[in-house]
Amino acid sequence: MNKSYFSRRELLRKAGISALGAHLLCGLPGLSAAETGQRRQRLIFVFSPNGVIPKHFWPEQQGKDFDIKRILKPLEGFRDRMMTMHGLNNQLRGDGDGHMRGIGCLLTGIELFPGDIQGGSDTPAGWSKGISVDQHIANRLQENESTQTRFGSLEFGVMVPDRADTWTRMSYAGPNQPMTPIDNPYRMFDRLYGQTRNREMLASVLDGLQADFKRMESKLSKEDRQFLQRHATLVRELEQDLQKEQAAAKNRPTGHAVPQLPPNIEEQNENMPLITRMQIDLLVSSLAADFARVATFQITNSVGQPRMKWLEIDEGHHTLSHEPDSNEDAYEKLIKINTWYAEQVALLAKRLDETPEPGGEGTMLDNTTIVWTNELGKGNSHTRNNIPFVLVGGGMGWKMGRAMDFGGTPHNRLLMSFCHAMGHTVESFGNPKFCKDGVLTDLT
Amino acid sequence: MSRFLYSILFATLLPLSHAQSEQSIRGQQIYQTRCAECHGADGQGVADVYDEPLAGDLSIRELADLISRTMPEGEPEKCTGKDAESVAQFVFDSFYSERARWQKNPPQIRLTHLTAEQLRQSLADIYGHFYNRVATVSDDRGLKALYYDGARLKRENRKIDRIDGVIDFDWKRDGPGEGIKGDDFYVQWLGGLKVDQSGRYEIVIRSSCAFIFRLGHPETEFVNNHVQSGDRTEFRRSVTLTAGRVYPIRFDLYQRKRKTGQLPASVSLSWKPPHGVETTIPKHHLVPEAPRAAFALQTHLPPDDRSYGYNRGLAIDRQWDDAVTAAAIEFGQTAATDLWPEYRRRRRNDEEAEVLSDFLSEIATLAFRGPLDQQARQFYIQKQIESTDDRSEAIRRSVLAVLKSPWFLYPSLDSSRSESRQVANRLALTLYDSLPSDSWLLNLAEKDLLKTETQITSAAKRMVHDYRARAKVRALLYEWLHLSEAAEIQKKQQLFPEFSENTVAQLKDSLDRTLDAVVWSEQSDYRSFFQSAPIFTSDRIHAYYGDEWSAKPDKTGYLQPTTQTGSLLTHPYLMSRLAYQDSTSPIHRGVFLMRFVLGRTIRPPQEAFTPLSPDLHPDLTTRQRVELQTSPQSCQVCHRKINGLGFVLENYDSTGRFRQKDHDRPVNVKGSYTQRDGSQVQFTGPAELAEYLANSHDAHTAFVNRSFQHLVKQPVAAWGYDRLDELTRQFRQDNCNIRRLLVDIAVVAARPPQTEERVTTNE
Repeated sequence: MNKSYFSRRELLRKAGISALGAHLLCGLPGLSAAETGQRRQRLIFVFSPNGVIPKHFWPEQQGKDFDIKRILKPLEGFRDRMMTMHGLNNQLRGDGDGHMRGIGCLLTGIELFPGDIQGGSDTPAGWSKGISVDQHIANRLQENESTQTRFGSLEFGVMVPDRADTWTRMSYAGPNQPMTPIDNPYRMFDRLYGQTRNREMLASVLDGLQADFKRMESKLSKEDRQFLQRHATLVRELEQDLQKEQAAAKNRPTGHAVPQLPPNIEEQNENMPLITRMQIDLLVSSLAADFARVATFQITNSVGQPRMKWLEIDEGHHTLSHEPDSNEDAYEKLIKINTWYAEQVALLAKRLDETPEPGGEGTMLDNTTIVWTNELGKGNSHTRNNIPFVLVGGGMGWKMGRAMDFGGTPHNRLLMSFCHAMGHTVESFGNPKFCKDGVLTDLT
Repeated sequence: MSRFLYSILFATLLPLSHAQSEQSIRGQQIYQTRCAECHGADGQGVADVYDEPLAGDLSIRELADLISRTMPEGEPEKCTGKDAESVAQFVFDSFYSERARWQKNPPQIRLTHLTAEQLRQSLADIYGHFYNRVATVSDDRGLKALYYDGARLKRENRKIDRIDGVIDFDWKRDGPGEGIKGDDFYVQWLGGLKVDQSGRYEIVIRSSCAFIFRLGHPETEFVNNHVQSGDRTEFRRSVTLTAGRVYPIRFDLYQRKRKTGQLPASVSLSWKPPHGVETTIPKHHLVPEAPRAAFALQTHLPPDDRSYGYNRGLAIDRQWDDAVTAAAIEFGQTAATDLWPEYRRRRRNDEEAEVLSDFLSEIATLAFRGPLDQQARQFYIQKQIESTDDRSEAIRRSVLAVLKSPWFLYPSLDSSRSESRQVANRLALTLYDSLPSDSWLLNLAEKDLLKTETQITSAAKRMVHDYRARAKVRALLYEWLHLSEAAEIQKKQQLFPEFSENTVAQLKDSLDRTLDAVVWSEQSDYRSFFQSAPIFTSDRIHAYYGDEWSAKPDKTGYLQPTTQTGSLLTHPYLMSRLAYQDSTSPIHRGVFLMRFVLGRTIRPPQEAFTPLSPDLHPDLTTRQRVELQTSPQSCQVCHRKINGLGFVLENYDSTGRFRQKDHDRPVNVKGSYTQRDGSQVQFTGPAELAEYLANSHDAHTAFVNRSFQHLVKQPVAAWGYDRLDELTRQFRQDNCNIRRLLVDIAVVAARPPQTEERVTTNE
């Protein structure tokens, strides 16, 4: 009945919360690899907007001995564990302008509904007609007890405008059901650790409250005093329970640290680097806690306009991306902007690589694939050919350390490949028309 | 049992001059030999023989008659005449009567914590305090509507500025009015949603246009459909709302011009109220003026103790405690996100640390219903601020501690406050189920100007003129009419094919409107409920109930007043609730009148009975069937009273439709009622019964008592010797003015019974 507002995704999540009540309260991790005999595979989609500068992005040399261009330099340390995937095209047509279809069809592989959001050109459009691959995979994982997690998936954002439209949504729980990314680290923290922290907070005030109960009692008749004492007893018992609970949490061997966020950071353009780092910390810690195995990390939005003043760039990103290649200043700035995004991807990879796989072998990066992508191939042409896909990490079990070129094939096939690699075979993903050739070959 | 203690007197006041009469001594002897074996020496009952204590509200005469006819069980001939009278006298004086029970166990004010509703209301008022005002009472209804040519707000393009009663439009491709293009426009509705009943509401918006619907706060996008997409045109979302509040609405609707695929424009705003059915939000619930923000607690709170017949904060268990914690955490979050920026903005030039401390003190001072002492300030404010660098966390910690504190949860623990402050606290609790938060009231308390009866009365009068008080009175009337518990009214489709859940929903609205119209009219006359209540109708109600329910056509809202006035007693919502699926239930109607309208004691039957099926007795009317089933002597003890009232309403069938015949026989609507004083009244038909209820002393006492219970949530007898009688006498003198009664009760409850007062009364 509530199709439009309470998506299947949310319902699943709610069910997950109640089923895993203990996990929720105590921050227990899910079943470990040792317990299930399977490794935990994870998939993270990182989005940055407005296309790239292909010349300084894509390696010229294919295969193992690929060269790393300026924009990808920050990822050099992960050379053996990364893969660039040139030649994948977002071929979805229909309603919506290039940016809208760029982001709306990126993970869904299907067209947009007709609607009333009018872009700069072309026809107006609404939301995507289908589920996105992150949500699809998360749903499959949630169906199986051994891969079920508290949230299934987590949708992170950075500086996503407070406006729900086709340009600001990448992930979809189903047709017409865009997922709102959480771009405020404090709100994300509350979502992840709110219960635990609330209980800590509660534990810390109970002692003082008991003193006040005592103060009050003295003024009362015998009967009323007994009534108030019943309440005070309840408070005392609760305090004891919370102390036990916290002691148990401390002694838990796999217990991971709850990240400490710097306080009082406002959501302002200048704080974007800091917010990004805070979100990366939360993302890594939530995956370490096995709160989810699929995540999206959407930095700004399609046509995003951050002003990267910390790079000494005053113009908005989208505005710059429309400049012709001949504008050398803009061209250089766009390279810098995209390099900054690559740095964030590298930071995420680094954090994952520093964290030993909980209950398993190697590091978290060995079991996680980061997919860095974009809604356009190139900003000033709005092409959706050669969509940037750069993968880092071993989650999919693919043969990494290579630059690939798929020669212009629908990106739907990559979406299918993700499903397969995560253990769920599909006949097609998104519009079947673009899936005829099946999953991409030569990945493993 | 204590619910029957209402006219019990205050123990210490009664001159204990009970020199037993001779008759009573004789009665005692007979009782001890013949009755005590089953009923216990003090009438307390005997386990497994007769468990129930002997207690009730029959007169001595009725009691004697009953003993004579039925006691001792199986051998009633052994105690008749003078003997029965003597036993009746003894039983009545010693433990049966209300007075006797009062002597044994005088009622007192008990310490209670906030009820669920009081917690919700208190938080809503703390929140409202920071936005400077709550909604003011007004008769204006509907939302302000601004229509613009072009899909964005451009002042010079505004073409229409009006009030829309309800939002339910289908403009197709024509646009909403002259000078506005059908494919390119913008509409903004502003105002508020007035909520009369706390509970879960589902808001339903249907539109083929893009829109953003804000509710409760300027930044709360309750439904964001900024993108019109595909055939997605229905949006539902549930929310818990609090009674007596007006939640601001801002509804922006955009019909954007498209290059292709333009859709025709339509929009409707509906809801499904608690236990109701989905309808377009009626005009009555939409108001053009609203506060900037209003709070509604979303945490589910467990139900309150009702063992006394009304909600009291007596349950102390982990579930309740957890719910309070959850509510405190929810409110702390809201304080950090909504209230803090609001407060900070007003003092943006001051040092942040100082402002934060003041902000938290203000919350705590409101919640604790009075200023903080040094110790409280140290723990609830300073300690919580010092424990973290994070401002938001400091706010949440402090609010959590404050709302979990006994200072907040136990409103009567305020003896350290000034006299005026205590009065203000009690007035707010009595009339709003809340705490003082309006600046005028806080000012009076601070200046100690709530001490004399005149001062208190004047404040109470002002407070009654408020949506919060109105909501509380609505809940009171629901208690009085036994409507508080949700009940599904369903009728057999073969018999009443046109009676649907929509009929029920409209009848409920109709009843609500009648209740409001009577109480908030100039006269506010309780008697109007039975004699001249405005009756509201709709096309559907008219079609089903006939021409008495016709009204002048009016397009603005679906409920309109009928051309005549009538009696609440026979309102179809009540009549159909007090009936079976296929037939009337004189027993339900009779019990309702006895217990609720007349405030009399009726015991449940010793065992449960299934009503005789109409199919097995096709030749009997409902009245005859009930008479047949309740004819045994043991049933008649109570059913003489119940049936005598219920039969009078036999003119109204299972759906409350008027009828002259039942099973093709004329209905017999004769009945009777034995008053508290033992005298009997006869009625023929509902009109005579209604006339009686309008003026009956028993009914007035019951109404006053119910009002006191609901408003104060303590037994009225705790306030003195004959407080209920005094209040009832005053009520009758004031032409049964309900609003004045509310004020009178609030004034009594504003001051706890003092020792001096008891002495005075005793004199």
